[in-house]
Amino acid sequence: MTRVKSKKSNWSLVVNLILLVLVIVWSIPIIGLFISSIRPQDNVLSTGWWTIFGEHSELSLDNYRQVLGGSQYTFVDSAGNTVRASGDNLSRAFINSFTVTIPSVIIPILIASAAAFGFAWMIFPGRKFFFTTVVALLVVPLQIALIPILRDYQSLGLTGSYLGIWLAHTGFGLPLGIYLLYNYISTIPRDVFESAFLDGARPMVVFNRLVLPLSVPAIASLAIFQFLWVWNDLLVALVFLGGTSDVAVLTQRLANMVGSRGQDWHLLTAGAFVAMIVPLAVFFGLQRYFVQGLMAGSVKG
Amino acid sequence: MRKVMLVLLIALLIMPSVFAAGQKGTAATGAKTVTVFGAFVDEEQRRFEEAIKPFEERTGIKVVYEGSKDFETLISVRVEGGNPPDIAGLPQPGLMMNFASQGKLVPMWASLEATIDKNYAPVWKDLGSYEGTPFGVFHRVNAKSFVWYPKKAWARAGYEVPTTWGELVALMDKMVANGHTPWAVGIESGGATGWVGTDWIEDIMLRTAGPEVYDKWVANEIPFNAPEVKEAFEFLGDIWLNPKYVYGGRNTILTTSFGDAQRPMFDNPPKAWMHRQGNFITGFFPDAVQANLEEEVGVFPLPSINPEFGIPVLGGGDQFVVFNDRPEVRQFMEFLATWESGESWAKAGGALFPYLNQDLSAYPNEIERSLAEALVNAKVFRFDASDLMPAQVGAGSFWTGIVDWVNGKPLATMLNDVQRSWPK
Repeated sequence: MTRVKSKKSNWSLVVNLILLVLVIVWSIPIIGLFISSIRPQDNVLSTGWWTIFGEHSELSLDNYRQVLGGSQYTFVDSAGNTVRASGDNLSRAFINSFTVTIPSVIIPILIASAAAFGFAWMIFPGRKFFFTTVVALLVVPLQIALIPILRDYQSLGLTGSYLGIWLAHTGFGLPLGIYLLYNYISTIPRDVFESAFLDGARPMVVFNRLVLPLSVPAIASLAIFQFLWVWNDLLVALVFLGGTSDVAVLTQRLANMVGSRGQDWHLLTAGAFVAMIVPLAVFFGLQRYFVQGLMAGSVKG
Repeated sequence: MRKVMLVLLIALLIMPSVFAAGQKGTAATGAKTVTVFGAFVDEEQRRFEEAIKPFEERTGIKVVYEGSKDFETLISVRVEGGNPPDIAGLPQPGLMMNFASQGKLVPMWASLEATIDKNYAPVWKDLGSYEGTPFGVFHRVNAKSFVWYPKKAWARAGYEVPTTWGELVALMDKMVANGHTPWAVGIESGGATGWVGTDWIEDIMLRTAGPEVYDKWVANEIPFNAPEVKEAFEFLGDIWLNPKYVYGGRNTILTTSFGDAQRPMFDNPPKAWMHRQGNFITGFFPDAVQANLEEEVGVFPLPSINPEFGIPVLGGGDQFVVFNDRPEVRQFMEFLATWESGESWAKAGGALFPYLNQDLSAYPNEIERSLAEALVNAKVFRFDASDLMPAQVGAGSFWTGIVDWVNGKPLATMLNDVQRSWPK
């Protein structure tokens, strides 16, 4: 018995060691990025971040100041004076990002949950066919749809409008959303629905009163996926919304922050951490649902 | 959950109408707007916007500039998708030729062409033309054939600026004899790693084989593995592949970012003593050096090799082309073709302009003045060959060929491979 036990603890020691090594390997780049973000520019460009523990121990919040407050520009105005001014700060980009992201998360969730309920529990002709079509769309890369959709938007007058990008993100997000929620909703025990229908509930009532509350874990995990995807998206926003400063989202501002030739890449270090705040908040806020949601549909109940 | 959803749904329904109303509001004011899409961002965008203010004030036309780091991809998507900007600043002549051959561009009209003929050297009009029809107007350009050095350290060591290739080689040997490393070289640039090397080769080609052979090379009328090209690589190899001449040797060349490569020059004492790069490199110099550019840094053109060809200048630049023909767009293009559109940017520094009638005193320091002078007075100016070659080569096998060669691939094999990759 003792032998078995010691074997077991040896084994778990090995597992823990491997995990520890993996954690360290995965964390080092992030630690390096973080340390770089709090070092002065000249040090970042000339020495590695690990030298902070040795000869170059200076710290500076200057990168964060430039990222949050807008980088410093020098230019010559029409009167011939050299002016040093701050560019726009990030608040506008944050607002734009939220304006794009929140509806782009809510609309697909509303549609996907209703569609998933329909596919899972309602009987109508062609149900299998339509569901297969939706799942098949999972493998279609959105990049190939950019130009055709842009042409349609152009004729509808939707380019450059928030409505346009909401619809685009909704469309691109729906296949995964329907698939994920279908897997979850189809595992809700049949008895729940049968008793509801026996009591005379109509499908809409069942959806509102039963399906939505019961699917909160799956909906939350879909919300996290969709939020992260839209928040981090650069391409779709650039194509459908454009990059002028009144609509530019956070990712566009970050991408442009490094300058035309990448000469200011040290700012990206701080920019990355600033941009991370919102996704991290969303993730930790919805985290308790996340694991449940990931398991959605994995065990047929 | 349900109530929250309901509230959000209502908010959703209201929001688009609010935004739509907002858009109508701006359209109703009646101000004419010209949209410009380009590849430069951040500080350069700010300076561009400042430089075109005189135009906006004079005409009342609003110019909205949008810059993106992903310009090359986006411009094609937007043009294909039927949503082109009024004007785009294209970094590569190849891109202009693509759009021109598809009939997407508005050719230059007579009054603009007359302005171009008056304000630019003929080479710029040629670079903006496709099959004899001019399309593009150059604004800010860059010149690349320059060698930078730490002025104070040079003065202490007693080094003098070489005027011929022979003197340059003698200087390099003198540096090595003093225990100094002559060159700081770095070609890492993410997916574009290698372009620094192509610039070196182009500069040497112009000096050894001359502009006519250079043009044939660009058009693949002489193959990539021709003796002239091989000779240029041998000149470069004498410097790059000799560990005594380059700080850190081959590995450092490959792994150092092109922007950071100049840093060893400003260590005390310098770890490297010369750096060949375009005028934009000043923006990468340490802040302390930038603040005191004239005293800290010296610059000379890469010396002549074959005296017959003099000192040619290699460069590049964004050309502005028109997608939507409207009177206000035309007005803005004509403004861009004049020195007035560049003056305030020139004063701010970091930009050169090709206008023949420009006022050189506008440049903020002696260094940029001398670069602008070299650019305007150059007898031979050639556009960056890798931007003119087909993308498979110019942004592909030429770059990777440089990397492979520095890595130890035999020269003849590499040149044959690049030639094979040339699209038929």
